Amino acid sequence: MASRCAEIEIDLVASAMSEATPAASRRVEAHLERCGSCRDEFARYRVIDREVATMRSEPAIEDEIARAREALRARLADVRSRILRYRVFATPFGHVAIGHSEQGVALVEYLGRGSRLDVQRLRRVADVEVVEGGRELLAFQQELGEYFEGRRDRLPWPLDLRLARSDFHRRVLETAARIPYGGVISYKGLAQQLGRPSAVRAVAQALRWNPLPIVIPCHRVVGASGALVGYAGGATTRKRRLLSIEGVPLARIPHDYRVRREAMYVRAPGDAEYCLPTCPSVDPFPQGGVLFGSKARAEAAGYAPCTTCRPDLHPLVA
Amino acid sequence: MDDSGFETLMTAHHGEIYRYLARATGRASDADDLSQETFIRAYRAYGALPPDANTRAWLFTIATNLSRNHFRAQKRRRLAYAAVSVTAGESDGADPEGEVLGREAGQFLQATVRRLPLKQRLAFLQRKIHGLEYDEIGRSLECSAESARAHVFQAMRKIRQALNGHALLETERTG
Repeated sequence: MASRCAEIEIDLVASAMSEATPAASRRVEAHLERCGSCRDEFARYRVIDREVATMRSEPAIEDEIARAREALRARLADVRSRILRYRVFATPFGHVAIGHSEQGVALVEYLGRGSRLDVQRLRRVADVEVVEGGRELLAFQQELGEYFEGRRDRLPWPLDLRLARSDFHRRVLETAARIPYGGVISYKGLAQQLGRPSAVRAVAQALRWNPLPIVIPCHRVVGASGALVGYAGGATTRKRRLLSIEGVPLARIPHDYRVRREAMYVRAPGDAEYCLPTCPSVDPFPQGGVLFGSKARAEAAGYAPCTTCRPDLHPLVA
Repeated sequence: MDDSGFETLMTAHHGEIYRYLARATGRASDADDLSQETFIRAYRAYGALPPDANTRAWLFTIATNLSRNHFRAQKRRRLAYAAVSVTAGESDGADPEGEVLGREAGQFLQATVRRLPLKQRLAFLQRKIHGLEYDEIGRSLECSAESARAHVFQAMRKIRQALNGHALLETERTG
């Protein structure tokens, strides 16, 4: 009998906890009818099971829980302000990471041939916790996809510039963010707009470390000669493709491309009008001016045709 | 990310996770720390959680992992301490207060549960107090549902043995 008692022990405990299968319950019942000591044991397990159930409502620690929740909320607020959620998406420009904080989009990064974001590097730049994001990032992916296809000319995302490397970089980025779609400006022109005309190299450095390429359109900043000069790690292929999407005319030059300034409309600094490059009232390539690949782009940026050269009536002959 | 979703999750489960950790560790200070860490980790990972995930079981898994790490670290500290002193080591995760057994059956039972080996204790609490399914418990302990069931069964046997001769079990003899 003892060996049978040992065999049935697991079923007996399960049965006392109301967890046995019907077959096991029947086996236990049959055994208990014959075995008095197991009947006692079964009763003891039932008592334990009932007593355990009373533990569910104990201990009464509501106050401790409420205090712990308050402390948690305070810490959560701190974590929340530092968190950057990102996702990596496949795009026509290779894998791109998009990251956002509670303030806005803080990161757009070309990952080149890899598909992993260098989280450590970001943590060296700013006090951020970089974690994987969720479905909320899909909307950004979709809008970026439309942008790459030329079906969208704005990415009207709230931005968070916490990954800018200095206040000066932040100012450069904020200024660059205002360069209109389909327009280009020179590094020197951007430096002038910032009120720091000699800080051309510093401006170029700030754009080199742009944490939000495409959204902050550093690809619309070109050399004084119109050469594309550099973009995202030195290669100008992406810059060329982005400018082409926006309708900026380009020509090949040795080792690079240039924007065809002679085939672009001109908007001089401070002007509310855009002109033909042949307009007598403007310098054809004014420092600080913006060049547009088409009338539509210049007008979409809010500029009216010049009343002297009448770009609305006369074709642009390059 | 939808922060209101996380807020709802916190409101729904914080108390329960706190109680689980208080029972598992036997100390309010540990329950404070571990419950806070559970939800901070949950917040970090929440964005990437599939929409149909069982968030309650997921929180229990995080809390269970943290408990196990906590007791492992505690054990390491104790061993390091024992190496330079002659203080006798305690059993895994046992609460010194638990050594003083309450006279009441409930207290006795709680003290017995606190002295269970860790995996058995965590499996037992998840199943018998919080009513989780064995596959969920198995996931939290990185074992199969069957192993989780075996842990609960062993816990019940140990509790039964610890209560040997206790008045609680002597009152309901069926004869």
